[in-house]
Amino acid sequence: MALDLAFMLQILPDMIAAFWLTIKISLITVVASVIAGILLTAIRMMGGKISRYSIIAFVEFTRGAPPLVHISIIYFLLPEFGIVFNEFWTGVIALSLIGAGYSAEIFRGAIDSIGSSQVDASKAIGLSRIQTFRLVLIPQALRLSLPPLTNELANVIKASSLLSVISVNELTKVANDLIFVHFVVIEVLIELTCLYLIIVGFLMFLSKYMEAKFKY
Amino acid sequence: MDFIFIIDQMPRLLPGLMLTIELSLLGFLIATIIGVPLGILRAYKIPFFLSWVIDFYVFVVRGTPILVQIYAAYFLLPIFGIKISPFWIGIVALSFNSAGYQIEIARAAILSMDDGQYEGAFALGLAKSYTLFFIILPQAVIRMLPPMANEMSNLIKASSVLSVITVFELHKAANAIISDSFKFLEMLFAQAVLYVAFVVAMTQLSIYLEKKIGANLQIKNLSQR
Repeated sequence: MALDLAFMLQILPDMIAAFWLTIKISLITVVASVIAGILLTAIRMMGGKISRYSIIAFVEFTRGAPPLVHISIIYFLLPEFGIVFNEFWTGVIALSLIGAGYSAEIFRGAIDSIGSSQVDASKAIGLSRIQTFRLVLIPQALRLSLPPLTNELANVIKASSLLSVISVNELTKVANDLIFVHFVVIEVLIELTCLYLIIVGFLMFLSKYMEAKFKY
Repeated sequence: MDFIFIIDQMPRLLPGLMLTIELSLLGFLIATIIGVPLGILRAYKIPFFLSWVIDFYVFVVRGTPILVQIYAAYFLLPIFGIKISPFWIGIVALSFNSAGYQIEIARAAILSMDDGQYEGAFALGLAKSYTLFFIILPQAVIRMLPPMANEMSNLIKASSVLSVITVFELHKAANAIISDSFKFLEMLFAQAVLYVAFVVAMTQLSIYLEKKIGANLQIKNLSQR
């Protein structure tokens, strides 16, 4: 079995364009889901009963149902209520919601593991609850949650391949189209795999680097 | 929301749920049979080329989306002359995916055992294989259970992606009902509830197993003292 290298070069421009789209989706999603995760954790810790239980319900829902179901919900349901986005933003919103649920759970676990004596100590030196959260808990929690968080973000990036079902022209969709246009399978799949490994490999490298940098 | 419609459509949804259950349980079982021994092997000193092969396999599985792996199984298996139904292609893809994660889980569980366990077994004069099977593994299995439950729920959710290769599982069944009745809200709600119920059932099973195995080990330890 010989690989057709000329063909692999020929489809490279198309694949690279899709690769950038996947990176764009991933970057927006990663930033949005970390910020939303921090906000959700803050509200969960400081808010009243209703907001706490609704956030728990949201987290359970994002963790319990498949990403494909979340994507269909955003894609099919929001237009029913008159909210229409294009496919790109539908996908980004769906992935960000999933990422937010997972990262909220990761932050909560990290904050729980920090220990209540720190909260007591901050109260003793007169910090307000928001100050305690911002100055004491979040810096430590971010460091603790770095390994599971990068794992989860890698999962969200891989979930971006599912956006092909709502016809976002990202990497998997383009590769699939190329397979059906040229009827060449192995070359396209190898190239597709390599491109994904570049993104996820970079993320893993980044996490190792940051972990080493932020060590106590 | 039209609950009567949901109940009416249950005869069409439940076979999908059954298929999802079959796919994820069978895929998980095959992946455990492949993944756990490899993971245990990886935790010990083995020839470098073998550990490279295992590491590369894990890197590819963890670095590519499940959708790509499913497409790869769907397009590549026929090229190599293996013609099987989409259901079995799905099983192959799911167990290929899950085995990679289970290798990591088993390896981490073995490596997390304290050195004192090996030293204690060595001091008692136990053979290496005896140490592995009767000292290390029983304790490692308990540590594997929570991440395994995680992996199981990931696998259940990954099985929804098999809808793209026309396996008629829960998500595909619900989509088929949506496309001839246009009742999005009801069907999305119904399938979300069914998925969450299955995932929660599996998580509870793992918590129960953890308690049960843990309790057994405790009693054994006490009686041995």
